[in-house]
Amino acid sequence: MRNETGDLLQGTLAILILKALLGGTAHGYGIARWVETTTDDVLRIEEGSLYPALRRLEDNGWVTSEWGLSENNRRARFYTITRAGRTHLRAEASVWFRYAGAVTQVLRSAPSIA
Amino acid sequence: MDADVDDELQFHLDMRARDYEARGLPSPDAREAAAERFGDVQGIGGALRAHDRRRERERQRKEYMSDLTNDLRYGLRAFGRAPAFTTVALLTIALGIGATTAIFSVVNGVILRPLPYAEPDRIVQVWMDNRRMGLKEDLHSWPNWADLREQNQVFSSMAAYAPGGFNITAGCRETECEPRRVAAAYATADLFEVLRIAPAMGRAFTPQETEPGRDGVVVISQGLWTDFFGADRNIIGRTVRLNGRERTVIGVMPPAVAFPSRDTDVWVPLAFSQEEKQFRSSFGLWAVARLKPGVEFSRAVTDLTTIGRRLEQQYAENRDLGVYLVPLPEQVVGRTVRTSLWVMLAAVGAVLLIACANVANLMLSRAAVREREISVRVALGAARTRLIRQLLTESVLLAVIGAALGVGLAWVGLRVLTGLAPADIPRLDQVRIDLRVLGVALGLAVVTGIAFGLAPALQSSRAAVGNALREGIRGGTSGRRAQRLRRTLVAAQIALVVVLLTGAGLLVRSFVRLQRVDLGFRPDNLLTMRLSLPGAKYGTPESRMGFFDALLDRTRQLPGVQGAAFIEDIFLTATPTSTNFAIDGREMTEEERGIEVPLDAVSSDYFRVMGIPLREGRTFTAADNRTAPPVVIVNENMARRFWPNERAVGKRFKYGSADSQAPFMTIVGVVADMRRTGFDAPVRYETFRPHTQRTVGSLTLVVRAAGDPLRLVPSIRAQLKSIDPDQPVFEVASMDQLLGSMVAQRRFSMALLGTFAALALVLGIIGVYGVTAYLVAQRTREVGVRLALGARPAQVVGMVVRQGMFVAGAGLAVGLAAAAAAGRLMTGLLYGVSPHDAWTLAAVTVVIGVATLAANWLPALRAAHVDPLTALRSE
Repeated sequence: MRNETGDLLQGTLAILILKALLGGTAHGYGIARWVETTTDDVLRIEEGSLYPALRRLEDNGWVTSEWGLSENNRRARFYTITRAGRTHLRAEASVWFRYAGAVTQVLRSAPSIA
Repeated sequence: MDADVDDELQFHLDMRARDYEARGLPSPDAREAAAERFGDVQGIGGALRAHDRRRERERQRKEYMSDLTNDLRYGLRAFGRAPAFTTVALLTIALGIGATTAIFSVVNGVILRPLPYAEPDRIVQVWMDNRRMGLKEDLHSWPNWADLREQNQVFSSMAAYAPGGFNITAGCRETECEPRRVAAAYATADLFEVLRIAPAMGRAFTPQETEPGRDGVVVISQGLWTDFFGADRNIIGRTVRLNGRERTVIGVMPPAVAFPSRDTDVWVPLAFSQEEKQFRSSFGLWAVARLKPGVEFSRAVTDLTTIGRRLEQQYAENRDLGVYLVPLPEQVVGRTVRTSLWVMLAAVGAVLLIACANVANLMLSRAAVREREISVRVALGAARTRLIRQLLTESVLLAVIGAALGVGLAWVGLRVLTGLAPADIPRLDQVRIDLRVLGVALGLAVVTGIAFGLAPALQSSRAAVGNALREGIRGGTSGRRAQRLRRTLVAAQIALVVVLLTGAGLLVRSFVRLQRVDLGFRPDNLLTMRLSLPGAKYGTPESRMGFFDALLDRTRQLPGVQGAAFIEDIFLTATPTSTNFAIDGREMTEEERGIEVPLDAVSSDYFRVMGIPLREGRTFTAADNRTAPPVVIVNENMARRFWPNERAVGKRFKYGSADSQAPFMTIVGVVADMRRTGFDAPVRYETFRPHTQRTVGSLTLVVRAAGDPLRLVPSIRAQLKSIDPDQPVFEVASMDQLLGSMVAQRRFSMALLGTFAALALVLGIIGVYGVTAYLVAQRTREVGVRLALGARPAQVVGMVVRQGMFVAGAGLAVGLAAAAAAGRLMTGLLYGVSPHDAWTLAAVTVVIGVATLAANWLPALRAAHVDPLTALRSE
């Protein structure tokens, strides 16, 4: 799916969105807020790129969307993760763990900087 | 859709602003911060909108394709369930499209496909407009051509040429070959520039080679190169003998060059001497020219007409001679061929329409059967437009399959057609099924599919929607509206059949008229062949006379020969070698001085052998020899015109004008008129000289046989060979064949249009029968009620037939009116018959009347003989 590290950020965004949706159907702003709170505002989603990313996920069949009413009774578009989306998230997550693990291992090896 | 994007983004911004406000920012700042945090709202919005639109298009395309495949699959299954309907419909469509495709490929090859020269529509045939003789397409003299070439501002090049023929003798390798006659053209070097053709091998001739003495060169055709010279790679530089003169082969033309005629095999320089180039009143040259880039044809006409007028004033010889231009493509395929081809295309189009109407009626009947199926689909929620689309997909599918079969039919048909076609339809070898023809066939399929499918589709979908709402109520397809549609279709079919029958009838009448024309001689058991003695070998009149006398003598001795004679040209071309003449002791009017007569030499018993009656005086005898006083025989037409109330025999005239040096000739006989320019051309004024006093090198031998004249050919050839083994004969044919080829185009048009008319009639009658049978079947219950209430079967028959004939009558009336209009387009193809010929129209009316009566009567009879009880129990 992802074969170049140049895609890393975009891929990361996809992982974050899919992960956000695991908690249930949400609208775009909800996804952004969830990421902010979960990461204590460390990972701030670039809001501009959120919506194009959602379209791409939809094209790939990983999420579906539907119009509905928001918590404050406004018309909003809600996104739901699909079965294919979950599978994809699982695969991406394992790639991520291996990658992060490898980097951590390198950083922890002697001579240690910590 | 676009609004959705705005809503979604606005929602995000509002939510973010609300959060900021909750943290204590004042409202305007909160909004600003939210927007800032988001980034390029406009840009992202635009990208999303574009994305959504693309996605929507993709979705629609997918849906369309899947609908289409479903419809096609559904259609094929439906065809499979109704094999009888499918077979009949396919055959009908295949016939219609096949015939149309075949004729269109002929039109395409003969008319539409360009000539094999660069920018062929820039080439112009330049004629001399001979107002003296009413000949628009007459030939030029050299000075006349040279003046036009010199003075015009509109042509980039202009060539003169004259067709001819050669006996070609030397040349074959190894094996000794038969002497052969080839068609040739003498041409100025400009010809290759005008046509823009370069030889495939070697070179064309240069202007220097068109001077006498330096003109011993020849360019040969691809065909002659392959089958006479065995495709000899070293042909360039070889010597051949043409009419006894040696010439060097300098070039071989590319294939497909057919100029001036399809069979031209050699091109030699037109080399006039300085003296010959002064003869302003010797007309024998054709001319073609190429327009300069950017010059319109109309400007060329103006320019050349002006020059022509100037020449007229300048030279007495040019009086009443103008210039007439025709674009070459029009010249090559003449008006008659064009007209007849367009008429054929129109006719075959009418056949296709009739076929469409038949299929439409079939579809209507089938729609009635499928009413339940369609109602179910409507009940399941199919929209009407969706239903119409599905029905149309089915009919176009049907048409496309039919068209594929039709193209196959057309392929077979074309073989037959080009096999039967007369040789003088130009460019028939260009006819084939190419991409353009296939494109037209496919286009026809789609259009016809919609044409015969649309009305039934609208009809049955409307019915279905109605039925779905009011289940069990009979309506729709069998209802009043559908009946009216069917009757209209039938009436239209009959109208088209009437038009076609009328056209075919007019051609048949013309042809019969033509066959009844009194030719003025007995055409049975006559053999004709042409000979041309080369001047190099037979230079003197004595040698030529010696040859012909020997040939006549030996031919007469052959068993089965009743007589042999010759004449210069048995049939006259449109522009024969001719001259004006002056009558002894008479002041001739201006008009009379302009009249020309063909020059003709005949052997003494020509008239007896041909069976041309002598009206007055005598024919030539042995006493009319070289040294005897000059004598002449004229035809009745000439005698009547110039000596109306007196005996022509004994009167004298001479060729040329009154002051010419030619000797006066005494008329010794008057013979009956003979049709010498074809069946449909008027008889000319004619004069005949004894060959002893006018010896010629080229002539037609005429032999009257006791039986089949063609069986004499081998023995006559053998005699000829014993006199001169190098002398070929050509154009060997019986008179029946000659006359047949004269009417071949008419016969062909007649046969073709006749076939289409017959096809149309059969299809049309099937249509009438089918509709009446269907409508009667729909009314079985009503008929049963009537019979049960005491109606006699004859009354029932009368009712059904009356209704059917009313429709037929309407179709007939419309058809006759249309035929009258269409007939005017055919005027050029008719002979001795008015396009509104009462007999033809009456005959067509009778045929249509009888045929439709029969087609209505049969179903009516069947209806009248149903058992009332069965009828009432039906349904």
